[in-house]
Amino acid sequence: MGEALQQQLAYVGYGLYLLLILAGGLAAVMSTSLVRALMGLILTLFGVAGMFLLMNAPFLAFMQILIYVGAVSVLIFFAIMLTKTPEGEAGAENMLEWIGLRAGLAVLAALTPAIIMATLIVKKAPAALALKPEVTLAQLGEFLTGPFVLAFELISVVLLAAMAGAVVLGFERRKGK
Amino acid sequence: MIPAMNPLVLFHLAALLLLALGLYGITIRKTLVGMLISVELMLNGAGLALVASARLTPALDALGQVGTLLVMGLAAAEATLVLAIILVVFKRFGTSDSAKISTLRG
Repeated sequence: MGEALQQQLAYVGYGLYLLLILAGGLAAVMSTSLVRALMGLILTLFGVAGMFLLMNAPFLAFMQILIYVGAVSVLIFFAIMLTKTPEGEAGAENMLEWIGLRAGLAVLAALTPAIIMATLIVKKAPAALALKPEVTLAQLGEFLTGPFVLAFELISVVLLAAMAGAVVLGFERRKGK
Repeated sequence: MIPAMNPLVLFHLAALLLLALGLYGITIRKTLVGMLISVELMLNGAGLALVASARLTPALDALGQVGTLLVMGLAAAEATLVLAIILVVFKRFGTSDSAKISTLRG
């Protein structure tokens, strides 16, 4: 395949994944139903995984799908399921309420850092660089067990602590002994 | 095409879009679960920016990828804890609406 055609296809792929991210993200923050919001989040996560693939980081794309789509979204789905009230679905939010001061402030909160950072990103952009060769899994593993071994061990401790904390928080005493 | 739009800028702008969406969501959502979804959006943006910076600049490549893996691990730990906290709050207040879960009056 020609170099130029590959370049064009990469832009097409980028546009496609950006569309996924945009549509999913909008659904995630605007949807009145939390289940739909979660579906939007999953769509966004797939879009980001596609962007990892575009950057030639297939392992990260795989991990993104495995950890985020596989584990984190299931956890969030449990949170939605377990906080269901008798009136109906958990956290169904009134759409009409969103028009007004609160929505304006939320847009302000999102746009202020976005505009500042977008200006900085575009103005201070370094020169384009050719994509480096793919980092192999072996190299990543060597890095993780070499210079990054402390972070690697600490993340295991954090995960263990989070798991133990979740068990302690969710623990129910037996009623009436 | 604007000349400044090299791939690094494009990926960083996508990450910024995720951050902005997450900030909007965490401000406007009233339920704790909705806020959790917004936080996940922002964390994903952080990971995307890290990988883009590692892959498309002279920076150390493995550093960014390992950093993103650690972000993913932290996000998983955070989601676990937040799920437990939401359950406790729901058991105690009967709702996960952040406006209703206050015990102070006035």
